[in-house]
Amino acid sequence: MLNRKSFIRQAALSAGAIMAGPALAEAADYLNPVKLTILHTNDTHSRLDPFPMDGGRNQGLGGIAARSGLIKQVRAEEEHVLLLDAGDIFQGTPYFNIYKGEPEIKAMTNLGYDACTIGNHDFDAGMENLATQLTQHASFPMLVANYDFTGTPMEGKTEPYKIFKKGRLKIGVFGVGIEGRGLIPDSLFGATKYLDPVQKANETAATLRRDKKCDMVICLSHLGYQYKESNKVSDEVLAKETENIDLIIGGHTHTFLDNPVEFKSKKGEQVIVNQVGFAGIILGRLDFEFSKFSGKKLSKNHNLTVSPKTGG
Amino acid sequence: MKRFTICTPLFLILAITGFHCKPSYQAQQLQYKNYRIATALPKDSSQVVFLQPYRDNVNKTMNEVVGMAEVSLEKKQPEGTLGNFMVDAFLTMAREKYNTPVDVAFVNFGGIRLTQLPAGEVTVGKVFELMPFDNVLLIQKIKGSVFQQLLDLVAERGGWPMAGLTMQIKNKKAVNVMIGGKPLDPAATYTIANSDFIANGGDNADMLRGIPQISSGYLMRDAIIDYIRKLKSQGKNISAKLENRVTNAE
Repeated sequence: MLNRKSFIRQAALSAGAIMAGPALAEAADYLNPVKLTILHTNDTHSRLDPFPMDGGRNQGLGGIAARSGLIKQVRAEEEHVLLLDAGDIFQGTPYFNIYKGEPEIKAMTNLGYDACTIGNHDFDAGMENLATQLTQHASFPMLVANYDFTGTPMEGKTEPYKIFKKGRLKIGVFGVGIEGRGLIPDSLFGATKYLDPVQKANETAATLRRDKKCDMVICLSHLGYQYKESNKVSDEVLAKETENIDLIIGGHTHTFLDNPVEFKSKKGEQVIVNQVGFAGIILGRLDFEFSKFSGKKLSKNHNLTVSPKTGG
Repeated sequence: MKRFTICTPLFLILAITGFHCKPSYQAQQLQYKNYRIATALPKDSSQVVFLQPYRDNVNKTMNEVVGMAEVSLEKKQPEGTLGNFMVDAFLTMAREKYNTPVDVAFVNFGGIRLTQLPAGEVTVGKVFELMPFDNVLLIQKIKGSVFQQLLDLVAERGGWPMAGLTMQIKNKKAVNVMIGGKPLDPAATYTIANSDFIANGGDNADMLRGIPQISSGYLMRDAIIDYIRKLKSQGKNISAKLENRVTNAE
């Protein structure tokens, strides 16, 4: 039995539905949050097979077959998935010594990686080799915004960023690489110009946020999580000294973070940093839930609630 | 009051449809999970199949016999036959690869990953077990005084394999250091074959930080394999002796 109040509300809603037509679907959008699942690895280091059963600490862990099974399962359950890697795909097992990265890149294509960035060890068999492996076997882009490869075999083989449309979401992803000097032999780094990652990250994130109107900006970083040396750029420094970055997927320091870490950007925005060790021992999963706002209502100080995934 | 109630749903619809600027999405919630890729997880058989030919070939390559060990070589401190063999390989191959005189080659004790290289056939895979890390064999020129600091660290850590140098360990310091038959001269400059790991300050070798490195990216493991092949081409087997290169003074 309807009372007067609910009757009037229903009538108004029906009238609204007739007047607004498809707008009701949009009203549903407003009420239904949009979900994006990010799966990520870093420093997989040619670990295509699990660690051998030799009594070692990591025996039996990792391997592309089990990782692939898990990724397929998540893809079957979730509509919008991005699979990302933060570099150092190469070096670490005899696969790399023999094949120079071919099975590693092919495997990433098979597993459906959406993008990766470049690690220092990805130079290990030379830039010409990396360019060849990517050209012949990669169906995903290698993203790096702070290496200038002009005049090297890697020229034109990377992109600074890529925008992914996932349902109604627009996700901007870019990459930053670590300083080569002292880490990558000159003979391998060649004429590559290393540009300030903070400056390039700021420029690129601003482009993605303001010009390209991305709802989320993700940085794939091979800078390393954090260092004792205060002057060494890291993901922590990057998070604190930039703006417009929502998430940094890190690598290089092989840091096993138990949970994503939150930092405040230069403008007080929340920046999430995550890294999942090395060798594909862990597959990281980040489920973001988005709500819709008008341009005016976008709060600069909105708070993202971070918690362990329940269920699944 | 009632008018407000009636208007709310209408207002909501109009507010939504009334947007002319593109609405934006903002993340409100983040849930995280770390999946441990363990043996119990179901494997994607297509990836097992994909990898099989690579795996077979890798195993074939790893099973290649590169040389023959005459005797079992042992990892020991302050000096062991396995370490002596390795640094002999590094000294010889560094001189050859960098085409330059090299005074001393060494390796950190912890960088040797087999306790024993058994007598008999030595496969590529066995050398990978011996040196699984992709450490690079590089060249550095260091002052005798800095070298002494490094050797004191070596002494403190119980002695590392040395080629081209003899020393004694006394009160955790390196004494009676002889290089090329002459006492270490703190003012002289020595050329050493080093690993990138130690050259970059690994094992607390902080005195080496900042010293220029000449590197072609030549892996120490490849140096060992090349040296074994070189011996074989000369009709020689893998061997090493204890030669009192590094000894305890008392």
